[in-house]
Amino acid sequence: MTEGGSSTVAEAQRILTEPAVGARRPSTVARSVSVVAVLVVACGLSLVVGSYPIPLSDVLSAIVSPGTGAVDTIVRHVRIPRTISGLLAGSALGVAGAVMQGLTRNPLAGPGILGINAGASLAVVTAIALGVTTAGGYLWFAFAGAGAAALLVYVLGSLGRGGATPVKLALAGAALSAMVGSMTTVVTLLDAATLDQYRFWAVGSLTRSGADAAAAVGPFLAIGFVLAVAVGGSLNTLALGEDVARSLGTRLVVVRVFAASSVLLLAGAATVIAGPVAFVGLAVPHIARILAGPDYRWIMPLSALLGPALLLLADVAGRLLVQPEQLQVGIVTGLAGGPFFLYLVRRRKVAQL
Amino acid sequence: MGVAALTAVATACAPPPPQAASTSGEAISRDNCGIDVAVGGPPERVYAAYQPGIEIAHALGITDRLVGTAFLDAQVLPEYVDQQASVEYVPSLPSREALLETKPDFVLSGFNGFFAEQSADSSVGTRASLRELGVQSWILSPLCPSEDGLTDRSIDPATVTVESIFRDLRDLGALFEVEDTAETVITDMRRRIGDVEKRVSGAERPSVAIVSPNDDGSYGVASGIDFGSHIIERAGGTNAFADLSDKRNVDIGAEELVERDPDVILTDACCNADMTRRDAQSEVDAILRDPALADVTAVADRAVHPFLFADRSAGVRAAHSIELVASILHPNRVD
Repeated sequence: MTEGGSSTVAEAQRILTEPAVGARRPSTVARSVSVVAVLVVACGLSLVVGSYPIPLSDVLSAIVSPGTGAVDTIVRHVRIPRTISGLLAGSALGVAGAVMQGLTRNPLAGPGILGINAGASLAVVTAIALGVTTAGGYLWFAFAGAGAAALLVYVLGSLGRGGATPVKLALAGAALSAMVGSMTTVVTLLDAATLDQYRFWAVGSLTRSGADAAAAVGPFLAIGFVLAVAVGGSLNTLALGEDVARSLGTRLVVVRVFAASSVLLLAGAATVIAGPVAFVGLAVPHIARILAGPDYRWIMPLSALLGPALLLLADVAGRLLVQPEQLQVGIVTGLAGGPFFLYLVRRRKVAQL
Repeated sequence: MGVAALTAVATACAPPPPQAASTSGEAISRDNCGIDVAVGGPPERVYAAYQPGIEIAHALGITDRLVGTAFLDAQVLPEYVDQQASVEYVPSLPSREALLETKPDFVLSGFNGFFAEQSADSSVGTRASLRELGVQSWILSPLCPSEDGLTDRSIDPATVTVESIFRDLRDLGALFEVEDTAETVITDMRRRIGDVEKRVSGAERPSVAIVSPNDDGSYGVASGIDFGSHIIERAGGTNAFADLSDKRNVDIGAEELVERDPDVILTDACCNADMTRRDAQSEVDAILRDPALADVTAVADRAVHPFLFADRSAGVRAAHSIELVASILHPNRVD
């Protein structure tokens, strides 16, 4: 895939010049429509399913004409925030994963691989230990931690001959994750109260944050999405190899900075909303690729739809599996995501990025 | 500190209790959680772990035999504050080495995790492995695991009673040769609990939930097999989560709490050695502030009361906790 040659360049030029939407095969459009339908169903289930039994009609009337009483309170203050958290975190993780895979040309990339999740988690645990309790407070710690981790990984990965290759970045990310992970353990073990809270921070959940957190991360998510869209075309050329991309006029440094900033903002925001959620960022871009082919201008929007659909379905399953308790969404994605990802790897040659 | 030092001196100089006269190396044994605990004379170097273990040691008057104490969930009961100030204390559980360094001949634990093989709390090894070194051990029997080395998941709900605490007091009283003190403690607890039960009998029984806000928006509640359930019953209420019996502490979503709609909510603040009921106010505020819970009866009636995790531990605190909860549930009958 990565070697040059005139046919590859011609193919690249075709992808680059082809309009993103109009010229796709109808089946891709049809598939996209069904992805939208799946997302709508997932949102519907997320609003209807819960341990307090509420019939669909009551849910609808609570949304359309909010009143008082337990039903309306639950829909307004439990179900809707939970669904919005799933939408925001899911789309952020899906797009962040897609950008990450495109940027590093690594099929196993996700926000986790550059140590971003680990950095954000350490920062948040530190914040808890320091007594920060609001989402607005966690937010800055999470971004700072994610950014510091990404920067460190980039510096480590750039050392030596050849600059920042995908492999070196991934290795640096794995090493940093291990180190930062043990520092997180140290902080939690030193303080029993932090450990008790971190028990809930270490697993992703959609019930954690309310409207204030969504409002706080909103602008960052928006910038992250815009940056991701902006680099979509360039990720296509980058997929042909750095030399080809450069010869096609792609400004690699700009693309890298944009893409990395996008991942940082999206993954950081998702961590603030839901905490660490495994496998969504990793698996969603692969499903998008199966549905729409290798064009990142399709993979991105599809990932933005598939991410929340998957996350919300996982959350609904978590509400049903162990009633009256509930499994946090991070546990469900962890349990279901592993085998699912293995299936993907076996089914498709995902290495062909 | 002055008081603490004085207490230490006073207890150290106190004449030996009358029973000590019979310290003739007489072997005596008692069954605890299916393990035969045998001593050839009253243990002299006792390590006490967790709130119930530490408080029962003070209640039995063996404070001067404590070589170390660890892991309090809250400040000890007011009557033991001076005694506790006179002994060594560490906030985290000791490692096996740190425990053995204190050369204990007896380890008294208020919770089973201390000796568990696979648990976050495990640190000193199983009771069998300690006995090989000549160290006897005791778990307060309301939390007996089904087998040595297991945790909380295997407790028998039938043993989670005040009677189990009385039996522990009596057995420990025999092992430590402080039977009279043990009987005094039991009589006092029996009188206080009986008095509460008499006052609340025939009253309407409100539903009560022991609730702690978790960091992810969910809530931890005390289930039917937790001693907290027992405290609520004796104090004239019913546990809103009494039907849950898989484990002591259950995490649920806000919806489930709305569905159960308790009349009264008690918080569940924990865990440091200075904590008092005042420190539980932040949990009260968090519960009152959650918009999802606005329609829960306890929240609408502002019947959310500060309560400590330590208050629902199965130990000599039981009488005090039952009185406290009864005064919350039935203020006209109990003060």
